[in-house]
Amino acid sequence: MHSEKKPTMEDTWKTGDLEKHLKRGVYDEDNMRRKDRRRTDEEGKKGRSGDSERRHRDHEREATRERDRHRERDATGERTKPRDPDKDKDQDRRREGTRDRTAGRDERERDRRQERAEEKERVGDNSRARDRGHESRERRHERAEKDSRDGEREKRRVERDRERGTERERKREEGRDGDRERDRERTREKERDRDREKDRDREHNYERRKEKDRHRDRERGHSSKHVKEMNDYTEELQEKHYESKRENERRERHGEREHSRRKEDKEYQEQRRKEKEERERRHREREEHPRERRRREDGPKEEERERRRPERQEETRHRLSSDRRSHDQHGKRRPVEEGDGEDGLVQVAPEARLHSGRNRERQEPKETKVEKEEVEIEKVSAEGQGDEDEAEYYEEDFEDYEDDFEEIDESDREEGDDGAMSEEGHKEEEELSPQKRREIEEIRRAMNAENERVGSSQQWHAVEESEIAKRNSDVPQRKNTQHGKFIDFVAAKHREVGKKIASKQKKRSAELLRLIDLDFSVTFSLLDLPPVNEYDMYIKSFGTTNTKQAYVQCNEDNTDRDVQTEEIEADDKWTQHPGDSRTVCGGPKLISEASDESMAKMNIDSKRLAEFLLSASQVVAILLEEDRAEMHSWRKQKSQARTLSCSDGCLQLNTKLPFLHGREVSLISFSQVQRQTLLSVHGPTTKPSAVRLDSKTILCIWNIWQPSCPQKVLVYESEVLCCCFSPGKATLVFAGTAVGSVVVWDLREHSTLHQTLRIGDNDWTLRYPTFSTDSVLSPVGHFSSVRSVEPVPVAVAEGVRPELSLLPSHQESSGLSFQLASLDESGVMNLWVVVELPKADQAGSQTDLGLKPGGKVKLLHSSTLFTNESRSPQRDAVKTEPLRTLLLKFLPSDSSHFFIGTDMGLVTHGTRHGLKILPKFYRPQEDGLRPVHITAVDVSPFGEPLFLVGCADGSVRMHSVSSEQPVMEWSSSTAGQPVLSVQWALTRPGVFCVLDAASNLHVWDLLEKDYEPVATEELHSDRVTAMAVFGDPAKPNTLSGVSLAKQSGEIEIQYFSKRWAVPAPAEIDTLHNILNKSF
Amino acid sequence: MEEPDTLEHTYIIRPNYQHKFKVGVVKECIREVLKEQLGGTSYNPQLISTQCRSVADCIKEKLKDLGFDRYKLVVQVVIGEQRGEGVKMAARCFWDADTDGHAQDMFMNDSLFCVAAAFGCFYY
Repeated sequence: MHSEKKPTMEDTWKTGDLEKHLKRGVYDEDNMRRKDRRRTDEEGKKGRSGDSERRHRDHEREATRERDRHRERDATGERTKPRDPDKDKDQDRRREGTRDRTAGRDERERDRRQERAEEKERVGDNSRARDRGHESRERRHERAEKDSRDGEREKRRVERDRERGTERERKREEGRDGDRERDRERTREKERDRDREKDRDREHNYERRKEKDRHRDRERGHSSKHVKEMNDYTEELQEKHYESKRENERRERHGEREHSRRKEDKEYQEQRRKEKEERERRHREREEHPRERRRREDGPKEEERERRRPERQEETRHRLSSDRRSHDQHGKRRPVEEGDGEDGLVQVAPEARLHSGRNRERQEPKETKVEKEEVEIEKVSAEGQGDEDEAEYYEEDFEDYEDDFEEIDESDREEGDDGAMSEEGHKEEEELSPQKRREIEEIRRAMNAENERVGSSQQWHAVEESEIAKRNSDVPQRKNTQHGKFIDFVAAKHREVGKKIASKQKKRSAELLRLIDLDFSVTFSLLDLPPVNEYDMYIKSFGTTNTKQAYVQCNEDNTDRDVQTEEIEADDKWTQHPGDSRTVCGGPKLISEASDESMAKMNIDSKRLAEFLLSASQVVAILLEEDRAEMHSWRKQKSQARTLSCSDGCLQLNTKLPFLHGREVSLISFSQVQRQTLLSVHGPTTKPSAVRLDSKTILCIWNIWQPSCPQKVLVYESEVLCCCFSPGKATLVFAGTAVGSVVVWDLREHSTLHQTLRIGDNDWTLRYPTFSTDSVLSPVGHFSSVRSVEPVPVAVAEGVRPELSLLPSHQESSGLSFQLASLDESGVMNLWVVVELPKADQAGSQTDLGLKPGGKVKLLHSSTLFTNESRSPQRDAVKTEPLRTLLLKFLPSDSSHFFIGTDMGLVTHGTRHGLKILPKFYRPQEDGLRPVHITAVDVSPFGEPLFLVGCADGSVRMHSVSSEQPVMEWSSSTAGQPVLSVQWALTRPGVFCVLDAASNLHVWDLLEKDYEPVATEELHSDRVTAMAVFGDPAKPNTLSGVSLAKQSGEIEIQYFSKRWAVPAPAEIDTLHNILNKSF
Repeated sequence: MEEPDTLEHTYIIRPNYQHKFKVGVVKECIREVLKEQLGGTSYNPQLISTQCRSVADCIKEKLKDLGFDRYKLVVQVVIGEQRGEGVKMAARCFWDADTDGHAQDMFMNDSLFCVAAAFGCFYY
């Protein structure tokens, strides 16, 4: 089937169409300029053909301008409508429209043509060749009928013509198209009466074109006949008919040929237009009919579309089959490409061919520019779609197509261009023609390459595209549909490109993924904002408010702790009983030391206190007693006549004590220093008493100012024959006992050392002797009863004033360093040294057996004197028996001299050192020895070397120390009564007292009477057993008297009256005178 | 189809050291931008969306200038109001940890918090 092959042959035309399309796509000023040039070229050609042409052209120009104006309006109206997805091209077109009036016109003309061409595309494959013919016819038609019709009508007509042409084609291809369609076509033909004339012309053209188609078919079919025909038409193309690469060129040349033909037609048309020139009318019609036109256009278009769909399907089918059959060397790509091209562009090719006759040479320079445009477009496309080669190729295709279109436009425009301009352009074209060919060649090559590439798209692509085409055909306006077509193309391209990219990237990714490890990285924590807790939120809001935080503390820390119990004090103490030392108790060392110290202190204190208290108490007691005694004595003096004549007062010591009851006072003695201290010796009583002290002797120490009670009570087991105080203070009491012992009492001893006995209502401390000489084994001592104990007075060197010397000597000897002489009946006199031990020994002494435990005073035996030996050489040889020594007295002025009274009325004078001194004896005035006991010897206390001797025969003698014979002798003063005691008065040197056994007290005052006592007191009521004179020479007024011990035990103290007490001035001198007279 | 280089493709699968996505630099960049753009601002719901976008763009532009060759940069900016709620944001990426990286920084003031994260993916 030759007709079947036709569509395949039309592929060759496609390149031309593509060029035209591309040309249209690239609308820029260059292009415009080029077109102008071409126009001028064409006109130049026309000018060659004839002047009338020019005129025609002028007219035509006007007409076309008019048309263009109208079209502009249309175009603007139409363009506002949605045209196609491919906006790029629209925009290009729009731009062009605004750029230049002429350019806009050209564009619109081109657009119109394109529309037409696209419409023709939609016509079936078989009718394509005819369509081309139609187009050429159309144009001719236009030109021919321009005088009578306006541009719009032309358009309508063109459309109708095209339709009719297609119908005709269909009629011819009855095998494929149904009769129905043809009938429809005919009815439409009737509607358009005028068009039929043009149809005829078109048919004429069509036949011509048919021939060309045939030629093309032949070429593609590789027929030799075709080659010959080509030779006829073209000068240059000969041998390359077979090669598909050259087909593009051929197409172009065909276009050129057609162009030349068209040119002729145009000339003809112009002439006709000139004749008619009904511009006004056209204008009117345009104004009247735009809507109608559109209506009309819409209607047939839709019909066309309906018709075309099946046709197109057939087309594709045809293409596929025919291509496979005829074009082996192109492969499968070819038909697809052809299909693309066929849809929109095939029909334009014949028009180009019409021009080719005239424009062939002009076309070449244009094409060079087209190439440039292509490059530009390439760039644009590259930007838009990435670096895709294929896209470029597509663009190239489009440009090619556009070139074709431009040719058409130019051909149209030729008519309106000025002749001069066209001539110039023509010249230029001729000059460029050789280049042009080369470029054409290049373009062809490029297109071939592109075709091959595009061929890669599969068959389904073709189908798809057809469908897209259908879709686009729905767009009502022709222009829109045309655009749609274009967009279809682009969209397909896009899709294709997308596919390509996708596949490429897939491949790329496949390759890359082998090299790269993709992994899920760790989850990155971009932000982790924890919610604000309530307190922070509160504080945040708190900060903005006008409040403050304040702190309050309650009184928690003000706790109190209370402890009720006190600290327990602990201390260690020890004690021992009985305490044998000062420390009887103690504690821990420090405390014990302290306590020891304190105790020692205490001891010391207590000792001193005791001493102090002792003395103080005594003093106080004495004072009190004195006071009372004085009172009492005054009362006695008044009430009783017992007071002695010589005395102005007396008092009685309170001897009515239970233990003294019934005892006779044997002795009374005063201390020589403490003259108020009285010692009374109460001998043992035979009467039984309540107190068991009967066999014992009691010694009482009295203070005569304290007569109520004895100060101390001393006790001794046997009878005490003699006693004396220590020479100093009255602290020691010595006593000689009947048993031959000398005992010492230390009055300072504490009462605790002695036995305390409760007698009657009072406690009495009975003191036993501190020391006794009657130790068993002692070689020394007395073997007979001790008759006298006398302290040896401290040696007084000068016997100037005995009183004066005595006193200090006494005071000095109070330090307890003195000697004691004791004389027993056998004449043995022992001298004892009184020693006070520094420390008392509570346990007693082992050497001093006579010492009482705790006692401090002891007697050390010093020497023993036998006083009786010196008596024998006396002139009385008769005296064979030894003298009984009864009394011992020391001369106070010279302690070495002592006087011993004997039982033979003699007083022995001796010294302690055994020296014999004269007189050896002191005898009475009456010669002859008689056994008379010397009962008393008393040395004058005033230091006078005189002593009184009392004898038992009642005589009293006064001896001077230096003479054997007495100074005075009073033998009958006592009336024969034995003298018990003779004592000098202590305050007056010439006064002495004599007591006789008949209780008469004789007071002698040698200064007043030296022959008889001055006064004699007869105390018969109670026998006076003992007498002692007391007195202080320093205080004669207050203390001077005599104490009398009575048989009843009473002790009476008589104070001498002033007469006796106070010595007269120079009494001693008068006494000396008296004595001297007596000598 | 008939690409001349189909046989021998050479790929750059590792960035040059000097072009590598440097987290520290990016972070500093983000910090600067955030400080500059958000310092002294407070949360305004009307303006914040545009602000957020501008911050993101600004960061992106700055990152582009840092010369991370062949890197695709993604910048994500989230701005939220500070109301004391807890917020947790995390990102997880499927990528090549050798070449790709991310940096993020945070800006906070009393009224808003802003988290900006930049991801750089190497483009082989």
